[in-house]
Amino acid sequence: MKKFFSTALVRGLFWQLIGTLVGAGLVTGIRMMMGLSATDKFFFTEPAWVLGGFFGVLFFLAGNGSVTDWFKWARGVDTPEHHEEKFSGWEKYLNVSLDHKVIGVQYTVTALLLICLGGLFALIFRTELAQSQLQFLKVDMQLFGQNGPELYNTLMSLHGMVMIVSILLGIAGIINYVVPLLLGAQDMAFPRLNAFSYWIAVPAAVLLVMSLIFGGFGTGWTGYPPLSSRAPVGVQMFFLGVFTAGWSSILGALNVIVTVVRMRSKGMVAMRMPIFVWASVATSIIALTATQLIGLSFQLVMFQRLFGMGFFDPAKGGNPVLFQHLFWFYSHPAVYVFVLPGLGVISELLPVFARKPLFGYRWVAMSSLGIALVGFLVWAHHMFTSGMNEYLRVPFMYSTLLVAVPTGVKFFSWVATIWKGKLTYPTPMLFVLGGLVSFLLGGLTGPPNATVSVDLHLHDTYFIVGHFHDTIFGGFLFPFFGALYYWFPKATGRRMNEFWGKVHFWLMTPSFFILTLGMMQVGLLGMRRRIVDYDPALGFDSTHLVLTIVGYLIGLSVLIFVINFFHSIKNGEKAEGNVWNSRSPEWQVPSPMPTHNYDQPFEVVGEPYDYGLEGSQYVKFAEPAKSNTKHK
Amino acid sequence: MTHTQDKSSALGQGVLIFIYLTVLTALEYFIAVTFQAVTILIVVAVIKAALVMYYYMHIYKLNETSDDDDVHSYAYKTGTNRLGLWLFLLSDTFVFAGLMATRINLLGFTRPPLNQMLGLAVTAVLLLSSFFMNRGETSMAHGDTKGFLNNVVVTFVLGLGFLIGVVFVEWRLAAHEGLVASFGDTVHGPMGGVFYIMTGMHAFHVLTGLIFLFVVWNNARKNIYSAEKHWGVEAAAVYWHFVDLVWIFFYPALYLIGKLIA
Repeated sequence: MKKFFSTALVRGLFWQLIGTLVGAGLVTGIRMMMGLSATDKFFFTEPAWVLGGFFGVLFFLAGNGSVTDWFKWARGVDTPEHHEEKFSGWEKYLNVSLDHKVIGVQYTVTALLLICLGGLFALIFRTELAQSQLQFLKVDMQLFGQNGPELYNTLMSLHGMVMIVSILLGIAGIINYVVPLLLGAQDMAFPRLNAFSYWIAVPAAVLLVMSLIFGGFGTGWTGYPPLSSRAPVGVQMFFLGVFTAGWSSILGALNVIVTVVRMRSKGMVAMRMPIFVWASVATSIIALTATQLIGLSFQLVMFQRLFGMGFFDPAKGGNPVLFQHLFWFYSHPAVYVFVLPGLGVISELLPVFARKPLFGYRWVAMSSLGIALVGFLVWAHHMFTSGMNEYLRVPFMYSTLLVAVPTGVKFFSWVATIWKGKLTYPTPMLFVLGGLVSFLLGGLTGPPNATVSVDLHLHDTYFIVGHFHDTIFGGFLFPFFGALYYWFPKATGRRMNEFWGKVHFWLMTPSFFILTLGMMQVGLLGMRRRIVDYDPALGFDSTHLVLTIVGYLIGLSVLIFVINFFHSIKNGEKAEGNVWNSRSPEWQVPSPMPTHNYDQPFEVVGEPYDYGLEGSQYVKFAEPAKSNTKHK
Repeated sequence: MTHTQDKSSALGQGVLIFIYLTVLTALEYFIAVTFQAVTILIVVAVIKAALVMYYYMHIYKLNETSDDDDVHSYAYKTGTNRLGLWLFLLSDTFVFAGLMATRINLLGFTRPPLNQMLGLAVTAVLLLSSFFMNRGETSMAHGDTKGFLNNVVVTFVLGLGFLIGVVFVEWRLAAHEGLVASFGDTVHGPMGGVFYIMTGMHAFHVLTGLIFLFVVWNNARKNIYSAEKHWGVEAAAVYWHFVDLVWIFFYPALYLIGKLIA
């Protein structure tokens, strides 16, 4: 227990608390000197909490030691490239480590925790929706300064943003763990920046949850003004949390691009890189650049609230639609940030389990970049009903429909890869196929929304909710689980339980399809998004009840996964060799991966996915790889 | 790192570029006060930006392949760091581009009532600081630590002058004119907000740049940089020029473009 309290995580959280109080106290002191009110509904005033939240993040990072080396450099003190690992076992993961594999695991576990938290929020409001009328989130209840429907709005908004942050951390986890291994690099290009990117996400998550306590915010994850400029203090914590998590994403993406450009092993020319690496680069290009715009848009609302600046206030000549442009400039490409790595995982794993070369490697590699670049030009399709200039509608409709082309390339490749393959169905493959089908559903329901005439009717209905849950489950969650089952033996030297893995899959998948198809159905019948109650006369009470039940089943399946995950770390079946019979370099060395990755550098001598072609070889190690003999 | 130029010709080039930039800035001001030709102003700003990026920020170095293939060597790592820094600047550019889009959307062809002479003065000061930064970096690239220290002190003082000029003089004057942060109406647009967020965000970058300059100055006093190993100096210089680069676009956007409405 004493060890636990001295970890970087706990120290960071402690300093975040101190920092919050210092920041809030500072502003309160200044306010008192200026003769302004010192306290408000949530004890401190809004400006005080904002500076407090900001100081909290800085104190967290300074207090937990993730910036120590940089301060040494600033004083002209040199540090070794890597520090000796001071901790072992679980302690390693709660302390600052520079090893990309440790950071990858930290990201992944944090993402899992946030998925559970976001899922919990969803279950709470899904329960309320099971029937028309208000069940337990009633108007006369009070919690954290909110009544029932207001709490519903906060939970619904937080579900969105917590899930988004969990996705950003989840893809960062997989990318961090896998990309350097695929490239044959010892680590990411900037190990300290890598650790920093992870640790800054922790106070961000704390800030997001704090928003629930400070009166919440009923704006949805989009935080549109004028609603967000009038919401309680909670919305400021939400803005700060997103802003901070954005930096994690930006800096992580920067690191990935530099790593891929500079750290490839010999012979790995661009057209021999694994597809997952291509996907990581594509996703990082978006995250690196566009993320700044959501940060800016939220910052502008923050300043509008704090200083009365009139950016989005029509009375002061401001323009609320401008917010939507700035916001969606990130938030649409962001969905490609979420799905591209997952689609990369599908392309990466399919050939392994189909024992066939990936069909059309070059096209698939380019399609990731294609989606990323076209993704920058489609943002206003979220705004067809916003009152923006009407002449913008049709160009944005066509650019949006264009996204279907590179996505179609991917599907064509996947189907052609499966065609006449010798398929086996271990758990990772099941999730890959599940992801494929559900992304297909999400993909096919996309173009109708992109079409202006249809979207004017579908906008803000549950049809949209069904559509994007399909894309996000298909593009992120299914492949994420698949990737975890697949690379778990690499990280731990043990396999996750196959039986419970299959239970997880067969419980989650049908439930999920019922959920999203049901959402689309009620959406078409007139169910609106983001609303606590609906008219029983619309006649879909029973559908909502089914949706709630399958929602719980999905929750149960994820619970099974989490238990399986943590149980298998110690008790799983031993798997130290090339369990999936993969050609990829990381499987040619023993598991768990040695601390400094490859003892011998490898050279790329062939194509990555030539499964089943006799005599073909992807990587050649400097000396014959001493597989399974070197591990201790 | 190899340098193809000898020191005096490198310094001479810096002077030449500075003269170009000064002439272009004067031209910009002249165009703005005589006839409102936005297109020409944009072209001039782009030319200035290109000059700064090529000759002061040495963007072409991104293309340099190091002689050393060992990823742990200083030369190779410098190449890696350089790419990282430029990607960071690319990311940062999106913030400023977003602010510029905000300004264009909200204010259109109007501009805030600002002191033209002060605007020209702070612009000149920042430009001059970039010039001295370039001298400093060139000195260090030729192993002249003392020359670097002297030049970076001048850069720092000029940078501080810019910061004071904007935050303590310009902001005060603007507020005196009624341009407070919350100022805005349907005629002028949210002028106060746009002016303070643009200059404020830029000033924040100037401040971090000053801290960066102090750090490399302090380290250079301890003699930790050499002609071959001075990535810190290069990074500080590139960052400092980037701050100048942003101002190349913000200065016309705030002071020169559009009409004043009473």
